Amino acid sequence: MGFKKILIANRGEIAVRVIKACQEMGINTVAVYSEIDRTGLHVQMADEAVCIGPPPAGESYLHMDHIIQAAHDTGSEAVHPGYGFLAENSEFDRRCEEENLVFIGPNSRSLNLVGDKIRSRKSVEQAGLPIIPGMKGSHKDVAKYEEEAQRIGYPVMIKATAGGGGKGMRIVYEEKDLKASLEAGMREARSAFGDESVYLEKYIEEPRHVEIQVLADNYGNVVHLFERECSIQRRHQKIVEETPSPVMDEKLRNEMGETAKKIIQITGYNNAGTVEFLVDKNKNFYFLEVNARLQVEHPVTELTTGVDLVHQQIKVASGEKLSLSQEKLEQRGHAIECRIYAEDPLKNFLPSSGKVLFLKEPRGPGVRHDCGIYGGCEVPIFYDPILAKLIVWAEDRNLACQRMINALEDYVILGVKTPIDFLKDVISHSKFKKGKTTTDFLKRHFENWEEKKKTEDKQKLAALACAFDSSLRAPVRTGGASYQKEIYSPWKSLGKWRLGEK
Amino acid sequence: MEYEFLVDNLLNKIDLEKREDFFLVSDGENQYQANIEYICPNVISVLVNGRSYSVYLAREKEKWYVFIEGHQFVVQEPSEEKSFAGEEEKAGEEMLKIKSPMPGKVIKINVSENQEIRKNQTLAVVEAMKMENEVKSSIDGFVKKIFVSDGDPVDSENPMIELGTKE
Repeated sequence: MGFKKILIANRGEIAVRVIKACQEMGINTVAVYSEIDRTGLHVQMADEAVCIGPPPAGESYLHMDHIIQAAHDTGSEAVHPGYGFLAENSEFDRRCEEENLVFIGPNSRSLNLVGDKIRSRKSVEQAGLPIIPGMKGSHKDVAKYEEEAQRIGYPVMIKATAGGGGKGMRIVYEEKDLKASLEAGMREARSAFGDESVYLEKYIEEPRHVEIQVLADNYGNVVHLFERECSIQRRHQKIVEETPSPVMDEKLRNEMGETAKKIIQITGYNNAGTVEFLVDKNKNFYFLEVNARLQVEHPVTELTTGVDLVHQQIKVASGEKLSLSQEKLEQRGHAIECRIYAEDPLKNFLPSSGKVLFLKEPRGPGVRHDCGIYGGCEVPIFYDPILAKLIVWAEDRNLACQRMINALEDYVILGVKTPIDFLKDVISHSKFKKGKTTTDFLKRHFENWEEKKKTEDKQKLAALACAFDSSLRAPVRTGGASYQKEIYSPWKSLGKWRLGEK
Repeated sequence: MEYEFLVDNLLNKIDLEKREDFFLVSDGENQYQANIEYICPNVISVLVNGRSYSVYLAREKEKWYVFIEGHQFVVQEPSEEKSFAGEEEKAGEEMLKIKSPMPGKVIKINVSENQEIRKNQTLAVVEAMKMENEVKSSIDGFVKKIFVSDGDPVDSENPMIELGTKE
């Protein structure tokens, strides 16, 4: 029996994505928003909207009581958490269960297990599956971390116990940097997830990040939907993702797919999830963690498998049996996603908040744009800087790269800084085109990226356009006409025209 | 009519004369005819010698944001008050006023007033969009004044901390 109304406990592009899926399935939607998001796109699109508190996430999008109250007040039957915020919070999951709300994600017991990376790794290790050497638990005192780092061997990685998405992560190459990095990592973890515990693990140099998408229903049926490669990362934050992975072959794909399914089974996981692995140059793979949510990069899987993952999530959560079978699933063509953040690639990728003055979305065959902004909207400082995702599909990888480059050229965001030009250079890079994508790709090839020199002609054209614009706004000084300051209207510059004529 | 603009901080002069159904454009080097039309707000179509350009632009306060064939420009009119002497002195003064690199929230102030500091020492940590960024010292010197405290919101225009040089 399907849901009639779902509350979406998120904002931005992912809330919009989920709302669209609900609309397609004939399900009513409830948006929640903080005071600063009153005019957010998700609020506009949903059937109902409830304000859940002040701008800081801790008082709104992370505030469980307010969200649960909003769900009850609106008569919602289920809550879709999106990604980030409460998506992987097992307490929220458990509270939804207690409150008779369906959490569209894994059950709280399994979320609790896979969400605790230390425990989940233990279970995977006990099942005889490959993991990376690391710490067995988090601690309070720094000395213990120093001791553990010695045992594991530098370089080590600091990771947040509760989270993902690069928040709280740090690589430490030497003991002298450990203390400062631990402090910063803990602070970031606390502000992102409300939990400051961190742990250490061995940092494997030059790996590829390859993950397997899985779907599991409430009756123990599990399928995998192949891999995504997400090696192009900056500060451990993915920025470009693709499928199939250039490193993949049929044997490795089957092995990793089956391993992922086993992990899902031993952890009692249901709904959509992603099992992350590192693959080294010899094609050994190590289990990293389960991302117990819909991933940011889920569209590349959707475009190559033809499966709508959000529809599947909702169906499975409502108690339907999985309608997909492993034998019938196949990958077709190639898909690439670029994440569009509000950040300035010329200023060390500092966040860039402010107003989006103009937006032109790229279009064309095989182009998908998952977008949480519009021309005129404000980008607040309080939340994750992701604005939108550009995804392309084509028959093969070369064509997909070209299609992505063209789409990025056709993409205009004015007012807020974005890495669109930077991404164009990444996709155009010869090593990317050859599929030589390791997690240190950006560090290696784009450490001091500078915008390509803009041609003088275009500069002059920019000046010409502004002169033209000024001529329409400024006081008109011809033929003794009165000085007038007027608001621009396109009709004034049109001249004589008639409908149907050019 | 003649216009002056700073396009990405480079001075461009351009003269625009309206004729019957085109503009006569002179950019100092060349003179040419251009057909210029607003297609809709924010989009201008320019035809020069049969070549077609779409120019996207948006204006906020004193700035235009302009996008042409994959390139983005920030355009503004040159400011009236051209500073004469004292330019360097002014720049020096500016260097002593430490601003946040972006609007955000102060997470931690690492220094106290009158404390001696080294160049590139971390003075404070500012967070925006869940990313922490360190604000570093531009000089060897001391902390003259701190204008903000932990938890305060900051913009990128007003100083957070003022430094002093050791005489």
